Amino acid sequence: MQRGKNMNVIEIKNATKDFGDFKIDQISFAVPEGSVCGFIGQNGAGKTTTIKLILDVLNVDAGEIYVFGQNIKDDSAKLREDIGVVFDEMGFHEFMTGKDINIMMKNIYKNWDEKVFFDYLKRFSLPVKKQCGSFSRGMRMKLQIAVALSHNAKLLIMDEPTSGLDPIVRNEMIQIFREYVLEEDHTILLSSHITGDLEKLADEVVFINGGKIVLAGNKDDIIEKHGLLKCKKDDLKDINESFIVYAQSGTYGVEVLVNDRRACAKLYPEMIIEQASLEDIMLFYVNRSISGTYGKTSDRSDATE
Amino acid sequence: MKGLMIKDLMCLRKQMILFAYIVAGVLVLSIMYVLSARYGNIADANQSMMAENSLSEIDINNISTITLICFMLTPIAMVGDVTTIFKMDGKAGFSNISSILPLSVNKRVMAKYLTIFMMFGIGVAVDIVISFVLSKLTDIISFADFFGIIISAASLMIIYGALVILFCFLFGYGKEDYAIFASCAVILITVILANIKKIKLIFTSLSVGNSDSIDFISDFMNFIIHKSFILLSIAVIVVAVSYFVSVEIVKRKRGMV
Repeated sequence: MQRGKNMNVIEIKNATKDFGDFKIDQISFAVPEGSVCGFIGQNGAGKTTTIKLILDVLNVDAGEIYVFGQNIKDDSAKLREDIGVVFDEMGFHEFMTGKDINIMMKNIYKNWDEKVFFDYLKRFSLPVKKQCGSFSRGMRMKLQIAVALSHNAKLLIMDEPTSGLDPIVRNEMIQIFREYVLEEDHTILLSSHITGDLEKLADEVVFINGGKIVLAGNKDDIIEKHGLLKCKKDDLKDINESFIVYAQSGTYGVEVLVNDRRACAKLYPEMIIEQASLEDIMLFYVNRSISGTYGKTSDRSDATE
Repeated sequence: MKGLMIKDLMCLRKQMILFAYIVAGVLVLSIMYVLSARYGNIADANQSMMAENSLSEIDINNISTITLICFMLTPIAMVGDVTTIFKMDGKAGFSNISSILPLSVNKRVMAKYLTIFMMFGIGVAVDIVISFVLSKLTDIISFADFFGIIISAASLMIIYGALVILFCFLFGYGKEDYAIFASCAVILITVILANIKKIKLIFTSLSVGNSDSIDFISDFMNFIIHKSFILLSIAVIVVAVSYFVSVEIVKRKRGMV
């Protein structure tokens, strides 16, 4: 597979990783070049494990993973030259300064650009000579992002980069990510359970829960298709089961996540159907998985609890 | 790989400052000892012990040589705390960084070995300078003999270092003290097993009041001075085995380095 238009930068086919007590179960999804893909799931859903599989930090038990069209098993070390990674924890030694990190990284990455690195440090107001152990969480994240963006990475993989940060810093980061994807061949895979950030930024969304992909596709399509139907408990039985993702008791009746908002609006004009947010969609899908029930009958019993 | 080695050396920065102080101390103490053994109180004490027949000239020479060997070993031993890097990496969670770098597992493991050998190289270089100075001040031991001791000491430390790295990878972060204990135990058991006959002989001769133990010390010194190539060969083999086993361990335990 060659790099080019419509190429998938990441392609996962039936990847499985079994830890005994937790399993990534035959997941498949793709991240197109030039897109921002939000990787959503609650804590412990398998986001970090999947990212580690993509980076070949963990071995897959079964399935295949392609990055830039190449199987990661072929030469993952070489592929990592073009990947910038940001984890939720920093990983640099506390005694290290920006200068130290620059010295280390320029002797590791072939494309390391120290001018870009120091420019980012300046932009992020990060002191060059101060030990990073004394940095706040926001500063540590910014430092990691500066490192990830300073070696001309074509793919940025970030694991919960905005968790634990205040809204101002989060917005600042989102702005940086937006600038990064202005380049056509730049792609981002961003894992988060803060769906608000992804709604602002993502083109594609992949939903993972309990080690399984429950939903994947274009973010706007997903939001457009899903709807939050609000009705009385008695009206629930009138709704076609095939539309219902999950139903739960709301303040004034029942809230139902439907998978075809427009069709439901036509069929049930008397019912209120609002556009669902990513957070709503995530919560309903997660709740459905937790309850282990799908469809109307079980949802109805849940709704009447 | 060079970048990881630079990072490892940064981890050892404080240790290197301590090392510089210790080297200076060792140099001063060993010169004082040599001068005293030749012209001062130690020389007088040796003369009187020889006059009283409590010690022979060979015994005194052995004692002096052992004392100097201890001085010589200190700089190499001081650079040999391999676990500092692992402890600091573990504390920082550096595996998060190292596992996503564009370096193969082989190179990441190799970086650790090369850093350690670089440190031992510094220790050896310092020892050579000290031994050159001392050999000019005393006739207790020649520079060639000093060199043999240095090679033996360095080989021993390399064996120790290679074992510690292997056990650090095997046990994982936070268990570096176990790695030290396991490495010392392996070396001690090997030395005991290799010399089991001589050790039995020493205990037997001690029980009947013989002086075979002194012969054992002479044999030991003869070995480390004149047969350092044996230890060096063993060190090369141990390092090779340790490296390949470590690579396999790290490949299995992904995310370790």
